[in-house]
Amino acid sequence: MLHIKDLRVSVEDKEILKGVNLDINPGEVHAIMGPNGSGKSTLANAIAGREEYQITQGSITFDGQDLLDMEVDERAHAGVFMAFQYPIEIPGVSNATFLKSAINALREARGQEELSPVELLKLLREKARMLGIDESFLKRSLNEGFSGGEKKRNEMLQMALLEPKLGILDETDSGLDIDALRIVADAVNQLRGPERSFLIVTHYQRLLNYIVPDYVHVIYDGRIVKSGDKELAIQLEEQGYDWIKAEAVAG
Amino acid sequence: MSAVLQDQHTTTKDWLNDLFQVYEDGLNGHRDHPLAEFRRRAFRELQEQDFPTRRDEDWKYTSVTPMLKQPYQEGRPVALEAKDLESAVYPELNAVKLVFTNGVLDTRHSDLDELPEGLHILPVSQAMEEEETRRWIEAQVEQEGGTGKNTFLPLNRAFAGQGLLVRAERNAAIERPVHLIYLSAPGADPHFAHPQLFVQAKTGSRLILIESYRALESDSLYFTNAANWIELAANARVDHYRLQRESRAAYQIHNTLVRQDRDSTYSAYAADLGGKLVRNNLSTTLLNSNTQTNYYAIYLGNGKQHLDNQTFIDHAVPYCQSNELYKGILTDSARGVFNGKVMVRQDAQKTNAFQQNSSLVLSPRAVMDTKPQLEIYADDVRCSHGATIGQLDETAVFYLRSRGIPERQARNLLQQAFLGEVVDFMDLEPVAERVRALIEEKLREA
Repeated sequence: MLHIKDLRVSVEDKEILKGVNLDINPGEVHAIMGPNGSGKSTLANAIAGREEYQITQGSITFDGQDLLDMEVDERAHAGVFMAFQYPIEIPGVSNATFLKSAINALREARGQEELSPVELLKLLREKARMLGIDESFLKRSLNEGFSGGEKKRNEMLQMALLEPKLGILDETDSGLDIDALRIVADAVNQLRGPERSFLIVTHYQRLLNYIVPDYVHVIYDGRIVKSGDKELAIQLEEQGYDWIKAEAVAG
Repeated sequence: MSAVLQDQHTTTKDWLNDLFQVYEDGLNGHRDHPLAEFRRRAFRELQEQDFPTRRDEDWKYTSVTPMLKQPYQEGRPVALEAKDLESAVYPELNAVKLVFTNGVLDTRHSDLDELPEGLHILPVSQAMEEEETRRWIEAQVEQEGGTGKNTFLPLNRAFAGQGLLVRAERNAAIERPVHLIYLSAPGADPHFAHPQLFVQAKTGSRLILIESYRALESDSLYFTNAANWIELAANARVDHYRLQRESRAAYQIHNTLVRQDRDSTYSAYAADLGGKLVRNNLSTTLLNSNTQTNYYAIYLGNGKQHLDNQTFIDHAVPYCQSNELYKGILTDSARGVFNGKVMVRQDAQKTNAFQQNSSLVLSPRAVMDTKPQLEIYADDVRCSHGATIGQLDETAVFYLRSRGIPERQARNLLQQAFLGEVVDFMDLEPVAERVRALIEEKLREA
């Protein structure tokens, strides 16, 4: 589904990713771990299409399409969704208006008919209930004045509504208490399916207790230096990243 | 004055003279009518004054030369079709409608005969036949509204023949809004219209005014010079809405002078969407304490539109509050001007005055000139003012796009949200809804 080949990415002319290779098949959950500054968030943002991330080399294909040739919104239409580490607050745009616009934009791009206001409201309510979100959430301005946990929960609501093929969690767990973490994990677990893959970027193993990954990769200094299964995450939690760094330096 | 400018003024005065002569010649037996006298006096005043130039501080960013150079004819009424009114009337408001076409009252489409109790609306010509009212009107026009000499006020008084007096009786809470619908229909010559209102909100009364300006053809040339004099007696409340959708070639000068007695509340809500060159002069004089004055306005300019807002709030007495929030967006080669002055005089202790102007300038050729001014001579007051000029938050654009919302739509949503902060203050929901829809429509067409 997602094929990343020799991806090199610079931010403000500083090379962050120095040749990343990664393949994700339908239904798989991959975790990307690594110390601070290793480039794991850069990978997530490069897939999502953030403009400040300049791709200097390599390719990303998604469902056979050249992802790097697609606009940000086109990537969303194709089925890529990134839950933000810091969701943006947008005063004056209600959550409901935002979600309706996003759903109908996707439907239009996919050649489906727009949902009527009644159908939309029904869908919003259903997904909100599924994630244990109060309906008053929908009337508030997008993320404005939301707590950290509420923002992340809102990201999960968006993901549930937009039903992506690939869900990327960009350090969604950072700064969350255990209850909020469970909500995020529950949402991902509910959405897991044979056709839907996840890329979970995290600094901590904690989240992976709740979302059990099929593969764990460690990024260090812009490259994936080690891959394994969920045991690798546990090892990292116990031993830290130093041994990875030592191995990487030793080559 | 330069020779060119001198010529310009001569040309303007010539066509004004001609136009006034047409009026004089048509008076016949009404030569001595108080309105004729009133207009003649205003015309003499006008002849003694010059139109402002960009050397005048308050007109530094707005030139009236293009507006005044070509001669205009008095507007002629046109027979309206049902569809012309459809988009101008807000049926859900159940308003008292007063429809003007090209500045001429269309009695057939107006609700002059079925007014709610406590509300009186009559032509200025008729109002002036009554001694006390005539003196009240004459007292109103004596005021300068703090913005100094404004030639467009005598210009309005000299030429307005269709002015109205709106009076809310003592303690009358008029629930039905008074909706003044000013329509411009294309005619043979560029026309000149002079909407004019004298509003008397008596003690304890409540009145809602809506002015909407709309062109039936999007690129017809005309000049509207409107003037409102509004007086709020003690404990009165007036909500005053103004929705401006003139044609792309139209000029508009809009003047509102408000006087507030104690415990009164005046709120102005405005949306400037249309027009080629629009200048609003809005001022309030506070006559007694414990008043509230609110100015909320948006402007949305594209193409070569020029939208200028001048405001003045004169705090001369203690314990008064004013809130002023102007927000606007300029794209293409549009220009915006905000010159907001709040005066807090020495006696105006315990004044609360807040003023903010925020603009988004979204193209390299668009310009915003803003000058928030706060002059404080009292020492126990709470006042703040500020101005910001910025662009859209690109991280917000990315966030919306990352959810599949196309770029254009994402930018429009953010612009609507920016202006929406002002629209949300509009208490009258059907009007607020209309303004939101008009903003959305304008952003989509751009």
